[in-house]
Amino acid sequence: MNVPSGLTRQADVTGEVRLECDTVIVGSGAGGATMAAELAEAGLDVVLIEEGGYHPTESFTAASVRALRTLYRDSGAGLAMGRPSVLFAEGRCVGGSTVVNGGMSWRTPADVLERWAADEGVGGISEQDMDPYFARAESRHSVGLQDPETIGRDSELLKAGAAAQGWAVVPNRRNQLHCAGTNNCTSGCPTGAKRSMLVTSVPRALALGARLFADCRVDRITRAGRAVTGVTGHFVRPGGRRGPELSVRANTVIAAGGAIQTPALMARSGLRSASGQLGRNLSLHPNANVIAFFDSDVTGWQGVHQAFQIREFMTEGLVLTAQNLAPPMLAAIVPTYGRELGELMADYNRIVTAGPLVTDTGTGRVRNIPGLGTQVFYQLTDVDAARVVRGVELTAQALFAAGAGRILLPFTGAPEIRSSGQLRSLLARPVPKRSIQLYSIHLMGTARMSEDPRRGVTDSYGAFHGVPGLFVADASLFPGPTGINPMETVIALAMRNARYLIDGRDRRPGVSPSETTSDR
Amino acid sequence: MRLAEVVCPPGLRGHHRTDRVLAEFELVLGASAPAARKALSAAIIALDQGARLYPRSRGRRFTRLDDQTAEAYIRVLLARRGIAGELARRIKAFVVMCYYELPVVQREIGYDPAPYIAAVSRRRLASYGPAIRAGQAAVTAPDPGPGQP
Repeated sequence: MNVPSGLTRQADVTGEVRLECDTVIVGSGAGGATMAAELAEAGLDVVLIEEGGYHPTESFTAASVRALRTLYRDSGAGLAMGRPSVLFAEGRCVGGSTVVNGGMSWRTPADVLERWAADEGVGGISEQDMDPYFARAESRHSVGLQDPETIGRDSELLKAGAAAQGWAVVPNRRNQLHCAGTNNCTSGCPTGAKRSMLVTSVPRALALGARLFADCRVDRITRAGRAVTGVTGHFVRPGGRRGPELSVRANTVIAAGGAIQTPALMARSGLRSASGQLGRNLSLHPNANVIAFFDSDVTGWQGVHQAFQIREFMTEGLVLTAQNLAPPMLAAIVPTYGRELGELMADYNRIVTAGPLVTDTGTGRVRNIPGLGTQVFYQLTDVDAARVVRGVELTAQALFAAGAGRILLPFTGAPEIRSSGQLRSLLARPVPKRSIQLYSIHLMGTARMSEDPRRGVTDSYGAFHGVPGLFVADASLFPGPTGINPMETVIALAMRNARYLIDGRDRRPGVSPSETTSDR
Repeated sequence: MRLAEVVCPPGLRGHHRTDRVLAEFELVLGASAPAARKALSAAIIALDQGARLYPRSRGRRFTRLDDQTAEAYIRVLLARRGIAGELARRIKAFVVMCYYELPVVQREIGYDPAPYIAAVSRRRLASYGPAIRAGQAAVTAPDPGPGQP
């Protein structure tokens, strides 16, 4: 394995590590890696800490369970408890969730930005304000449309089904450099075509002098008085054994561990938000899977992950898309076992998996519970449950229109459906909320921005209210769900907030720009 | 082991794949959150001993049940609501996930991604080599200015 200069892994460390720097960043995903590159380029001495391991492009294969074990937190089996519970996945590796996401790269919708400004007084976030940052994020990560030869039949079928209904479909914009269409996004891109942080901002930051520590869990953010002084943590040995300690002294700490780990780290560091909102307001864009069987081969694993999105129902909070699941993942979610499972999986190449992504109105909470660690709670609202059911119905309609012979719905106990009429008849009766099988990969909102310290955790630029030197740079910042894939929003906000952090530092090191700038 | 025999397709026993599935299962469990690991381990014990309460088991634990009774017990358990059903479904999901991770099983259902990945990777380089190299070089190229749009 080629190990980049500036990277230290647990295997490289034999004793306690003590460091000093200008800025320490916790988490190397979309927000953390972007911040690291921006601040290193401004000449700051940056230390980037990642709890997961360093896994280079050449190590990625189609072994999806192995990927779950090595690239995801807790084998990708996070659970937001509620009725129903929602299964969620977080990346835990150098590059964070950008290594294992589908690579969808969309600007934050203008109405979402307007709502954030109106509801929380977030400044500098109009479409016009953000446009240059989106443009720069897209340039940095090669965002664009797929080359046509990479689009698979599963996506084409869903598109055809939508077209038959007269619905609006858009090609997905993805952060990819001539993606080969391996359909391996969620197990790590084996060609490096997906421009994750692993192959963009992380190597950029390292080339600019940043230091990266992988396999290292941050336990606490340290403080003297109100201001932060750095972090402490430890390296993680194979099997989860505790390794040597690490301590970093820095005037500026940036938490970028994602919407679950960031509030968890802050809470176990004894940090409280005066607003009481830290760890609250979790949105997660619930997803559900519709499994459709066709009469001829689809071979959905040949071709890019999610080539299109059905946008016809965005005003209802719904985006529909097809995403192939590798055999282990499909086997895990279908409601059969034993011989029946074998018979179902024998049709693997004739299956299309698709479903809705729902803009949720409800919120959940992240809490640290003694003895149990970080726990997530989320209650699906009646409004959102109705949206999920509507999204499932629309997806199934499109798949029937595309020629599907039978469909499995993501409702425990629901029968196999063989026609649109049967679908309508089934859904004419209420679907018990508890029976809906949901999962999520978009976790947002647990340290939301608000200019009002009584309502939010950070100011408009990610500076934690009342704690000088502490910033947030991940989707925790969002004052609400984006309604579309959130990665580009995280990157653009990190670029924007880096600018303000640098400007503020020019005036007073380690202090939030909001405390030094009077004209905002 | 008995659970894997019941929830996985017959190919598990027919082709002596149990050990490989269990080895993978151990790895997955090891990579899970400590709380989840404890809960699942406890659930496996509860699943085994809980079979004694299942009327058709006649007081036997799950590992002692014949195939038909074991299958019927699992069917009842998976259909249950509440935490017991949820844990049973999670265990089943992990076990069958591990079964379908085996390359030989994947090939049996027509999923063989490695040659496909190799072929499209070659096509990518042949079609777009210069653009790819330029894009990769841009990763560390100077920027207009830190934080500047």
